[in-house]
Amino acid sequence: MPPVLEVKDLTVRFAGCTALEGVSFTIEKNAIIAVIGPNGSGKTTLLKAILGLVPFQGEIRLFSKPLRQVLPQVGYVPQRFAFDSTFPLTVEEFINLTCRTPEKLPLGGVLDEVGMKGFKGKLIGELSGGQLQRVLLAHALVHRPRILFLDEATSGIDIEGLSDFYSTIQRLNREHGVTVMMVSHEISMVYKFTDRIICLNRDLISHGETRTALTREVLKKLYGDSADLRNHSHD
Amino acid sequence: MIELLQLPFMQRALIACLVLGVLLAYLGIFVTLRKMAFFSDGVAHAALAGAAIGLLTRFSPLISALIFSMLLACLIYWLEKKSSLSSDAIIGILFTSGMALGIVLISLRKGYQPELLGYLFGNILAIRRQDLALIVILAILIMAFIIRHKRKLTLLALDREMAYMAGVNPDFYQLLIYVMLACALVLGIRVMGVILVSAILIVPVSTARLFSRSFKTLTIWTAVIAESVMIGGLLLSYYLNLPSGAVIVLVGSTVFSLTFIAHSLRRQRRQKRQSPTN
Ligand SMILES: Nc1ncnc2c1ncn2[C@@H]1O[C@H](COP(=O)(O)OP(=O)(O)OP(=O)(O)O)[C@@H](O)[C@H]1O
Ligand SMILES: [Mg+2]
Repeated sequence: MPPVLEVKDLTVRFAGCTALEGVSFTIEKNAIIAVIGPNGSGKTTLLKAILGLVPFQGEIRLFSKPLRQVLPQVGYVPQRFAFDSTFPLTVEEFINLTCRTPEKLPLGGVLDEVGMKGFKGKLIGELSGGQLQRVLLAHALVHRPRILFLDEATSGIDIEGLSDFYSTIQRLNREHGVTVMMVSHEISMVYKFTDRIICLNRDLISHGETRTALTREVLKKLYGDSADLRNHSHD
Repeated sequence: MIELLQLPFMQRALIACLVLGVLLAYLGIFVTLRKMAFFSDGVAHAALAGAAIGLLTRFSPLISALIFSMLLACLIYWLEKKSSLSSDAIIGILFTSGMALGIVLISLRKGYQPELLGYLFGNILAIRRQDLALIVILAILIMAFIIRHKRKLTLLALDREMAYMAGVNPDFYQLLIYVMLACALVLGIRVMGVILVSAILIVPVSTARLFSRSFKTLTIWTAVIAESVMIGGLLLSYYLNLPSGAVIVLVGSTVFSLTFIAHSLRRQRRQKRQSPTN
């Protein structure tokens, strides 16, 4: 089977700085991939390049096709969603704005999935940070994507929500074959829930199966001496 | 009242107000969401140059203002995209220059210039038959387009990346909304004048935002408020024998202020009820 995502020699330059340089990897179907790295290491830039949101050099193929054709099959939760929070838009209206596929999921079901049942009529500008994050996930799921890109989607989500979140992701992955690529700083969650890992710091430091690639040396290389796998126990 | 409706100029003014109210106020929803108020105000002011060219060349001032401001909207779009200048700087420079050019051009005509005041502050007596026809046709076309693409335009106004992810071409629709906005503003100049026209863009939606609890109610209330303010202002200006554009704006800001006060009082009362200790 051809890989779901192929990235070849990806370089992204902004005015005056290089965010990514010569990054190459491939992702097989049905994997949960974590992208880790310190602040400013190019994680967000990597996702944005894959989605065509920033100009890049190199080659990126999603489902072996040019991006434009497969965009409807992609779900994306951005790291930052800055909108005019005084604007009256309900959760239901917000999610329906993007939804254009006829085979979309019922809204109630998706909101239930992310633990936001009963929030349909609430204004998105009046949600808490974690609630908004959950709604953004629902928004990314509603059109049944085949691949999900999550950029620190769990930031601001409480402990209970966090394990719900990861089990939702896992179930989507196992039962519906959704490929998931997530940026995360929660090393213990990454260790527990992801199959593969991409360690970034402008260029690719390592990538491979989470349990073998996420070593002490890699973490040290990424985060310096303060990082220690023992602090992120994985029992 | 009946005799008022028999005056041809008043009939034309009423139709123009009804059509423009809903068009501009509806566009205003996107303008305030995407923070394009300065763009709108700028394009409206600069349209004076377009109207002046029409006056000097004895071509229709309305049509030349339409063409001029749509070209200007394209230029602003292009500069925002291609140059490193800030959007505020681009609009600020083009808008004042356009207006200055308009004043100079109109002053080139010999003698007294009643047109200048009319273009600055609006003059409902000056709405001719063919002007009204153009206003109605273009307004219907723009409205039809916005309603058809409402979802895409709202997404774009809310968040560019999200619009792109939903399959909207952000550049194309951004340019389109600029051009439609420029066109709609120029249509409003006959009634409101270049200086006051953007009030109808901003005031009704801002009033409706004070109390609306969904996008749907916002849309409905924006239209209702806009129509009431336009018609109310127009009639009031007739009875008081005052300039229509200015009276319409004052009626709008009064409605806004009263709504704002009522809304604040109600919220205060609700808060008091929730915390009986103080
Ligand atoms: N639009 C932009 N213009 C200029 N430079 C940018 C832009 N976006 C990102 N950068 C730069 O690219 C580099 C990588 O940024 P990126 O947002 O990808 O980091 P990140 O790994 O997601 O960090 P974080 O963990 O803080 O989210 C940074 O040095 C940043 O300053
Ligand atoms: Mg980031």
